[in-house]
Amino acid sequence: MSAPSEQREGILQLADQLRWEVGQGFHEQLMEDLYTDAARLADRAVTRPDVKERFDLDRTIDRLVTSRIWGFPMMILLFMLVFWITISGANVPSAFLSSILIDQLHPILKSAAASIGMSAFLSGLLIDGMYLATAWVVSVMLPPMAIFFPLFTLLEDFGYLPRVAFNLDNIFKKSGAHGKQALSMMMGFGCNAAGVVATRVIDSPRERLIAIITNNFALCNGRWPTQILIATVFIGALVPSYLAGLISALAVVGIAVLGVLLTFLSSWTLSRTVLRGEVSTFSLELPPYRPPRVLQTIYTSMIDRTMYVLWRAVVFAMPAGALIWLCANVTIGDLSIAQHLINFLNPAGILIGLNGVILLAYVVAIPANEIVIPTVLMLTVLVTGMSGQGAGAGVMFNAQSNADLLTLLHAGGWTLLTAINLMLFSLIHNPCSTTIYTIYKETGSLKWTAVAALMPLLLGLTVTFVVAQVWRLFGG
Amino acid sequence: MPNPILALIAFAVLAIVLYVLLAPERGLVWRWREMGRLNERVFIEDTLKHVYKCELNGRAPTIESIAGAVHISADQAAHLVTVMTERELLVLVDDHLKLTPGGVNAALHVIRAHRLWERFLADETGMSESGWHRLADRYEHGRSPEELGELERQLGYPTHDPHGDPIPSSSGQYVPHGGQPLPSMPLNVPLRIVHVEDEPDVIYAQLVAEGLAPGQQIRITSQSPQAIRFWADGDEHVLAPVVAGNISVVVEHAAEVTRAVERLSDLKQGETAVVSGIAPACRGAERRRFLDLGILSGTRVNAEFLSPSGDPMAYRIRETLIALRREQADLIYIRREEAAS
Repeated sequence: MSAPSEQREGILQLADQLRWEVGQGFHEQLMEDLYTDAARLADRAVTRPDVKERFDLDRTIDRLVTSRIWGFPMMILLFMLVFWITISGANVPSAFLSSILIDQLHPILKSAAASIGMSAFLSGLLIDGMYLATAWVVSVMLPPMAIFFPLFTLLEDFGYLPRVAFNLDNIFKKSGAHGKQALSMMMGFGCNAAGVVATRVIDSPRERLIAIITNNFALCNGRWPTQILIATVFIGALVPSYLAGLISALAVVGIAVLGVLLTFLSSWTLSRTVLRGEVSTFSLELPPYRPPRVLQTIYTSMIDRTMYVLWRAVVFAMPAGALIWLCANVTIGDLSIAQHLINFLNPAGILIGLNGVILLAYVVAIPANEIVIPTVLMLTVLVTGMSGQGAGAGVMFNAQSNADLLTLLHAGGWTLLTAINLMLFSLIHNPCSTTIYTIYKETGSLKWTAVAALMPLLLGLTVTFVVAQVWRLFGG
Repeated sequence: MPNPILALIAFAVLAIVLYVLLAPERGLVWRWREMGRLNERVFIEDTLKHVYKCELNGRAPTIESIAGAVHISADQAAHLVTVMTERELLVLVDDHLKLTPGGVNAALHVIRAHRLWERFLADETGMSESGWHRLADRYEHGRSPEELGELERQLGYPTHDPHGDPIPSSSGQYVPHGGQPLPSMPLNVPLRIVHVEDEPDVIYAQLVAEGLAPGQQIRITSQSPQAIRFWADGDEHVLAPVVAGNISVVVEHAAEVTRAVERLSDLKQGETAVVSGIAPACRGAERRRFLDLGILSGTRVNAEFLSPSGDPMAYRIRETLIALRREQADLIYIRREEAAS
């Protein structure tokens, strides 16, 4: 009986002793040898067809797009082209969608609702609230995305985007980030939710979290119209009319550049503080160039990116539309809920150089940045009680002309400071709910979602506060 | 509207208050939590470690040395020793404090916890070297043997911590690293680093900055009372003997000759070489990634082109273009091939 157990003890002791003798690199050594053997076997058994010709072409393209002289100018030109096509190309379908969905379909729906005897409350809630908010989001969001995403995906498919990451990696490395963050950032200029999804290409956990958390500083598609509108109306008006276009464009670009600088700054801070302990590995594969598959690319980018984002936005916009309408139409005492909230938020808003209307608009318009300006206008009309503007309480609208807009906003107490701070706050505030939800899905962590949502909000409040105080100190 | 100057002052005060309260590792909230963490159990475990190390080094632990090591007052240390004697962890033999057999087991358990956590931090997180020891000091307390067994399993039953200290097995057994201090070794003999001492912090920080880690091959070229000069994996280092004394080495077996000295980062654009190995300092996720990419001993690598911003370099490895940063290329050893092959 004792012999086998003695034997067993002996073997166990030997094993324990050998464990120390084989040394600490044992597991790694074994694994590396397995890999090396596998590679050697594969090298011996696999013959490769002659790929030299394409290989040379690839090398020529690589030399060109990563050249010291031509690399950066080509990159800048290419991306300017993509943005130009997106912005100018989206105007026509956007106006078309807006005239169909808002100018034509909305009155038809309203009269149809009236003819079947729907109560004013219900038709207001469903049509003025939920339908209009959704229509607004679709008409503003869909065309630029339907242009931007396929273009971007074509560049990706061709193999150019990894080279962009390669060219820019050194700059991102200095802020503790990954070169591929350049790509998710570019994608963020289209839509932050899509930008967050695009961080999947970053396989290093720490750098991926940095890219997710800072993506919001890429000025998205939903915020460009706000920036352009406010810059045109307030900043462009400061200079003679022949300079107005240039100056307002520069103001918008300045905001976008500020966003990029904030991306680097916050990446640098994050990688040195809260994200210090996350795993970091770098690797960047530069795949061979391929002729882009145009139709397939358009199809997949529409399905994977455009439709995904649009559907999320619609899901969030409908309840928000209802909420906005209810806010403006349900009264407590003499005032609507919206007016109560605006009165409550006004002191804080004024303190940071904005006002209660803007703050309330940013709270209720969390689902989509696209509806911030229409909501601001609707609420301003509600507060000032101006006649001849707007379409009634809770009904979002856009001003007929810039002059109308200026009159309305001046009546709402806007100054140049309000405009500048709105532009800053539009860049630096919490991401829209679609993006927040996407961040949660991608990180699976409430903690990082909270950081991604609150960090820019706090920063935005701080920046607008300081700008407002300094402005008042020196500018009166 | 409030006066802007007052508003800015109020804001600055608020920011300072928040910083003082919430700053990581310096803020009051962090310190309060830290104080709450330090209970009697932690003190006892730290004392066990201290007494064990004293016995190992042939020094006699005293109330004063315990107070110093555990960061408590002498009165508290005296009380602690009484408590530990009652629990039969310590005994007083001829006026000397000694660990009982139970005390030795408990001490080995804490040391095992500390070294396993250091291994974990080094392999599975992105913490830098300077953070390992300090964090392991926090995580080592109050761990059950089952917890440590699970951690050990996850890490693949490591034998040594990242500094080269052996990790005691669950039955408390281990083999010391057996190295000698570097300055005591003869010149021009192939040596291998087996241990880099992580205390005190200042000296360890210097060794980390020099890139010295267990597993590296070393050869001393000259030695004087002021400085010791040596090669470690292809780089020359000059250290004060007191600093070099924190490195322990063994004589390398004659069969294994000092490794080739060139690194992938030395490869100029257009040049080709063959990988001869990955640096021992490259661990965990980073090492696995290299293996996944096929960067193995014997793999041919060609430096194809450099990013216009100066870093990274694109290398052709097994018919794939892979960009590696300079710090990564530093971790890969190469040897130049003869033109014929």
